[in-house]
Amino acid sequence: MAEDLVLDTAIRDWVLIPLTVVMILIGILRYFVSKLMRSQQNPDAKVVKEGQVVVRARNLRAGANFIPAKSFRARRAYFSNEENGLLHVPKGQGQNPQAQMFSDPNMAMDMMKKNLSMIIPQTLTFAWVNFFFSGFVAAKIPFPLTQRFRSMLQNGIDLSTVDVSYVSSRSWYFLNLFGLRGLFSLILGEENAMDDTQRMMQMSGFGMDPTKNLSAEKDGLDIIQHEWALPKFEQRAEAVLKKLVS
Amino acid sequence: MVTKTEETQLNRLESQVDNGGGGAWEYLCLVRKLKVRRSDKVLKHGLSILNDSKKRSSLGPEEWTLYEQVAIAAMDCHSLDVAKDCVNVLQKKFPESKRVGRLEAMLLEAKGSWGQAEKAYSSLLEDNPFDQVVHKRRVALAKAQGNLSGAIEWLNKYLETFMADHDAWRELAEIYVSLQMYKQAAFCYEELILSQPTVPLYHLSYADVLYTLGGLENLMTAKKYYSSTIELTGGKNTRALFGICLCTSAIAQLSKGRNKEDKDSPDLQSLATAALEKEYKQRASGKLSVLTSAFKSLKVSS
Repeated sequence: MAEDLVLDTAIRDWVLIPLTVVMILIGILRYFVSKLMRSQQNPDAKVVKEGQVVVRARNLRAGANFIPAKSFRARRAYFSNEENGLLHVPKGQGQNPQAQMFSDPNMAMDMMKKNLSMIIPQTLTFAWVNFFFSGFVAAKIPFPLTQRFRSMLQNGIDLSTVDVSYVSSRSWYFLNLFGLRGLFSLILGEENAMDDTQRMMQMSGFGMDPTKNLSAEKDGLDIIQHEWALPKFEQRAEAVLKKLVS
Repeated sequence: MVTKTEETQLNRLESQVDNGGGGAWEYLCLVRKLKVRRSDKVLKHGLSILNDSKKRSSLGPEEWTLYEQVAIAAMDCHSLDVAKDCVNVLQKKFPESKRVGRLEAMLLEAKGSWGQAEKAYSSLLEDNPFDQVVHKRRVALAKAQGNLSGAIEWLNKYLETFMADHDAWRELAEIYVSLQMYKQAAFCYEELILSQPTVPLYHLSYADVLYTLGGLENLMTAKKYYSSTIELTGGKNTRALFGICLCTSAIAQLSKGRNKEDKDSPDLQSLATAALEKEYKQRASGKLSVLTSAFKSLKVSS
């Protein structure tokens, strides 16, 4: 195309600006709605206890040499015996986390709430943009771009002759959808619930198996050699005192 | 743990606030952050902010935090009326809050109505069994009533779940010592040494408990822990030095007549006495004669 397309100022006033404002408002609304719906979840008794057991067993492993051999052996037996040791995980009880997730309706409910608050407004706004503004060229960016950006900037316009620096309204919607995160963290504070990427991470983190932690700690405890460090301390104390007295 | 720099900062701020130099809110924030117990000051300066409606509203939502802080400080100072006012304000603002419920229970406890407080704590725990503060309050409640075995019971229950909480282990150890249940106390101190192997105080207390338990093996072990205390404190701990002397003489008495298979380091004891003598000469030369006579009775020579 030789000549530039001239964009009507009414497009700016009635498409570009409303779209942006609506996106921001929806983002803020979503934040408050998700804040309302977030249920305070009580930690599971077993999970809390297992975390504490792991910490204590780790302490035992790290400080083993500071307690007498008898005390160490008693503790090790307490943690890792095959009958009722704290770290011992009976076979078959290592629950499949997936199954656990579905067996706990609360967890499923929570995830559904989160997803709903994310998906519903997105579908609605997308439908709204599609219905009213499809086919608009809403803006022009002030620098030229290569053809590869066409699918990103001109979604919804199937003309190969339009210069790539023109942005279609649907693309403007997508740009807003993903680009406003920085603005939201400015408006709503750092820890706003908008961060979709973080949520994705959390979801993938569900696959972790807490019982693995326990058995790893148990193996660690089983293999350490107890070597009481205290007898050495007598000589070291002597050295210290010698220095002090002289 | 409060570090040295934090403490100097706190003290500087405190003297500044005391002399009317302003910065009361910063001081209160610091007290809250470091979790130190300066209830009288907190009460005084917190109240001066709370009574000034302009200053109070300038805090915004932090106002309620301040109310909570002042309420707890007031309970500590036994100004129950002030505490009650604060709790009432909070109660009006957050009618359903568990946190305010905790304050109310604490107020009952401060008043000395043990039964009601106990009930309040129990119902709070039913709602949220992982409220560590309430668990600890319940232990304190039992302890305040002089019901030490009850306190032990609650503490054990608490430690069953929160077994990595070393402060609780320490409390339990001290209660056991006061009840002369030394074997249990020794276990608790072992736990403490495991969680923080470089704190000399735990080594010292463990050695004390072992020495009190008696028996040749325990005495030997006690001596070792006294030496580790000396090593960790750089020989500055008088109690550990005396401990070495006592252990050596007790071991010598017990193993008299037996073959001395491991006659280990008589040096340590003579060094300890020498260090003690030097210390006494420097700090309390008047008591030196007492020290030498004590050594004589222990049949240790320097």
